[in-house]
Amino acid sequence: MSAAGATISTSDPYRLGSRGPNLARGHGGGGPASKRVVVGYGFWLFLLSDIVIFACLFATYAVLSDATAGGPKARDIFDLQRVAIETACLLASSFFCGIATIAVARRNQILTQAALIATGLLGLAFILLEASEFAALHAQGDGPTRSAFLTAFFTLVGCHGVHVTAGLLWLGTMMAQFYAKGFRPDIGRRFLCFSMFWHFLDIVWVAIFSLVYLVGTRL
Amino acid sequence: MTIDPDGHDLEYQHDDLGGASDERNASLGTYVLGLSLAILLTLASFWVAKTDLIYGPGIPVALATLAVAQMGIHLVFFLHLTTAPDNTNNVLALAFGLLIVGLVVFGSVWIMAHLNYNLMPTQQLMQMQR
Amino acid sequence: MFGKLGWDAIPLGQPIPLIAGAVVMLVLLGILAWVAVKGWLPYFWNEWITSVDHKHIGIMYVLLGLVMLLRGFIDAIMMRSQQALAFHAQGYLPPEHYDQVFSAHGTLMILFGAMPLVIGIMNFVVPLQLGVRDVAFPTLNSVSFWLTATGALLVNISLVVGEFSRVGWLPYPPLSELRYSPGVGVDYYLWAVQISGIGTLLTGINFVTTILKIRAPGMTYLRMPMFCWTALASCLLIIAAFPVLTASLAMLTLDRYLGFHFFTNEAGGNAMMFVNLIWAWGHPEVYILVLPAFGIYSEVISTFSGKPLFGYRSMVAATLFICIVSFCVWLHHFFTMGAGGDVNAVFGIASSIIAVGTGVKMYNWLFTMYGGRIRFATPMLWSLGFMTTFITGGLTGVLLAVPPADFLLHNSMFLVAHFHHVIVGGVVFAVFAALIYWWPKAFGFRLHEGWGKAAFWCALAGFYVTFVPFYIDGVLGMTRRLQHYDVAEWRPWILVSAFGVLILLAGAVCQIVQIIVSITHRNELRDTTGDPWDGRSLEWATPSPPPVFNFAILPQVHDAEAYWDVKRRAREMNGSGLEPHYEAVEMPRNSPTGFVCAFFATIIGFALVWHIWWLMIAGLVGAYATFVVFAWRDVPEYVIPADEVARIDRANRLARQEALHGASAA
Repeated sequence: MSAAGATISTSDPYRLGSRGPNLARGHGGGGPASKRVVVGYGFWLFLLSDIVIFACLFATYAVLSDATAGGPKARDIFDLQRVAIETACLLASSFFCGIATIAVARRNQILTQAALIATGLLGLAFILLEASEFAALHAQGDGPTRSAFLTAFFTLVGCHGVHVTAGLLWLGTMMAQFYAKGFRPDIGRRFLCFSMFWHFLDIVWVAIFSLVYLVGTRL
Repeated sequence: MTIDPDGHDLEYQHDDLGGASDERNASLGTYVLGLSLAILLTLASFWVAKTDLIYGPGIPVALATLAVAQMGIHLVFFLHLTTAPDNTNNVLALAFGLLIVGLVVFGSVWIMAHLNYNLMPTQQLMQMQR
Repeated sequence: MFGKLGWDAIPLGQPIPLIAGAVVMLVLLGILAWVAVKGWLPYFWNEWITSVDHKHIGIMYVLLGLVMLLRGFIDAIMMRSQQALAFHAQGYLPPEHYDQVFSAHGTLMILFGAMPLVIGIMNFVVPLQLGVRDVAFPTLNSVSFWLTATGALLVNISLVVGEFSRVGWLPYPPLSELRYSPGVGVDYYLWAVQISGIGTLLTGINFVTTILKIRAPGMTYLRMPMFCWTALASCLLIIAAFPVLTASLAMLTLDRYLGFHFFTNEAGGNAMMFVNLIWAWGHPEVYILVLPAFGIYSEVISTFSGKPLFGYRSMVAATLFICIVSFCVWLHHFFTMGAGGDVNAVFGIASSIIAVGTGVKMYNWLFTMYGGRIRFATPMLWSLGFMTTFITGGLTGVLLAVPPADFLLHNSMFLVAHFHHVIVGGVVFAVFAALIYWWPKAFGFRLHEGWGKAAFWCALAGFYVTFVPFYIDGVLGMTRRLQHYDVAEWRPWILVSAFGVLILLAGAVCQIVQIIVSITHRNELRDTTGDPWDGRSLEWATPSPPPVFNFAILPQVHDAEAYWDVKRRAREMNGSGLEPHYEAVEMPRNSPTGFVCAFFATIIGFALVWHIWWLMIAGLVGAYATFVVFAWRDVPEYVIPADEVARIDRANRLARQEALHGASAA
């Protein structure tokens, strides 16, 4: 949609701690925003809705965490070493996604693909570790059907894992699109959404490893 | 620089790859700093979970605080959420989301704690059915 | 091979669903055949099914909503007639069937009737009122609509293939768990609501982004029309609440499909957690419905009083107040379930406080009318009917908000009366007011006033005759959802209620006749200027119906009530001013993405209901492929050349100049 005129600048002279000219007046009279701002904001709202889903799963986990039905409690089944490696993988993955963002801004195809591959491989490592944890628990009879606590645990952590897996599928598609179509503006906007998604997944993981795994081993 | 009647600075947005706007935010230094801080906080969290130096019942609070701090690091350094006026919508949306999360999580835990206290445990109830 | 699906899924032994299903299929096939024979299929495909235009999507939403409203109404007639007959008798609906009828009634009315209607009206009106060409994400808008249609389709398929849920419109466990509801009914419900819930969430995101980031130049936040503010609050609630619905239903689905123990009776499950979470969605849901309704009344009342809305800022504040507080009251739906005095007191007080927001709005509407020149057109009648009805219905709500009172009245007919009172008086009346108010804008001709007024009076009278007896029966101790009963005291009121439904039926008939008569007489009812009601906001600046690009030039807004300002200046200058400089306009291309995506969603939902796993996987692959195909397209927009834009706009300007000079000459 083009207005018969210009669009508002999206530059941000207000990094934390810096001073700059007063651009946005705050009353909202500047006309339609640019596509990048619109797409970014819409996806930000979607992420907030996803946070609410995770909040419900966290609430359910909190309510059901004592309902072990004679089965294992949290400290019986959590392996902090594996959790530490998973955390490192996901955090590093987020970092490489940041590198990819810089590479895309500079239109550097090789750096983009390399950074995205690193992002993907680290994400895949995370998923494989998590899958092995789930498989091991299930094999010893402590799967999600054993007790309400295990149901809540598997669903909360599993939901995050499903999101990461979907993200890997999306990542593959983005790599294909950059390769096939180059650095078109609409693909750039999609990549903005992907990077927001990927960082958001790391934020949710921070909550999970802190409040589920670490708190669980201490209570 | 062209200014419109309302005093806004007009600039054609022709680079949707983040060239103009995100360049100042998406520098390597930002990401390296964010990564370092996140690693520090993660190590701190794992230490808190293992140590005996902190008052026991305070450990979940400490872990929650460290988690919130780390989320903040992610938001600022990786997601470039700032306090700029053109970012106000994003911050307000986040605040709204956090309000909802708080209401749902703490409201549910509060309500369910009362219900669990007042109601007969389901297992006992089911035994009475036999 | 086909999971649980077999020939016994078709209800050959039950005449009512069989005949109903057969009639519906014949009607649908008849319509399809007629359209095909007339050669209109390409037109429908290109202009409607693949449309990403918010106006067309809005109209399709409203059509879906009206059809589902009708089906829900038929369910209501069945319930009333069953209860009229079933005193010391079994009536004509066996319990298994009656349970499906009341479950379908609630599900259809709220999720596939009221929601699509309200969302459809928002779709059509909001971009026009904001002075822009379309919503933020037009193709996503199309996906939203078709996913909602998928949900409605699944519910209707359950009539003839399998059965529908018997556990009420909210599937409380443990009754809805696999052990106590082994059939496919609950699964149909779960997938229909989940799939359409995704569509609704996407709509919420779309509209919040549009309202906050895409407005005409000069339209600051406090110059937005009131309907846009209420649409914003409603869509913020959608973004906040629908994920809770998704999570709750997903947990129940996992219990049923994979044997998890969220809400089961064994292994530590906690059924009350479902009740808690589902109402954390359910209460904001009713505000999602009623806030846009309030916005509609603000528009209608100010237009037909000939005055600006009184107390605009306090209206905005009240809207946002209601938006936030609606997330703090959900426990009042289960006061009686044992949370105790402390918890009940907090939520009871919050539930009483939320009435203040509506009170502020009511006073503002009254003061808008005071000193104005009121025209009693049909939309204004619906608004006046709303004001009395909603106030009394809301008062019964404040009564129910008091926990000790609620202990007597919970799940009685008093409760049923209350929520129908506010939903019908609030939302349904608003939908009809909006339909008549914006119909000329959408289709280019007005609706017949006489039949409209008849429909209104029948609806108002019918509503009171049907639902006031419920209050009395509730206080006399009658519970809801009774298939038969033996208490003689209740019977006279049930009979009065059944008679009331006949009056409502007359109202529905009048409404349908109004539409048919208006279509056949559309040339006499033509709206030539685009401003049939002397409106105050920007949608009335466009021709009726608006061109695909809405505005030739995005309007520059200087004041609240943007269009009133334009008209005032035009009258002062005795003309519409100089012709603007026309430029080419880029519009988003139509796309079959929404329809194809929904097609695969239907397959996925149906496969999951019947446990046909290979079909589910095929559907998922198809849905993913659809997105990739959409992502791969190279040309997302098409250009409308400047002289085409000029031609359309010149005709509009001419019509308005003629009207202006005609008015000043008269």
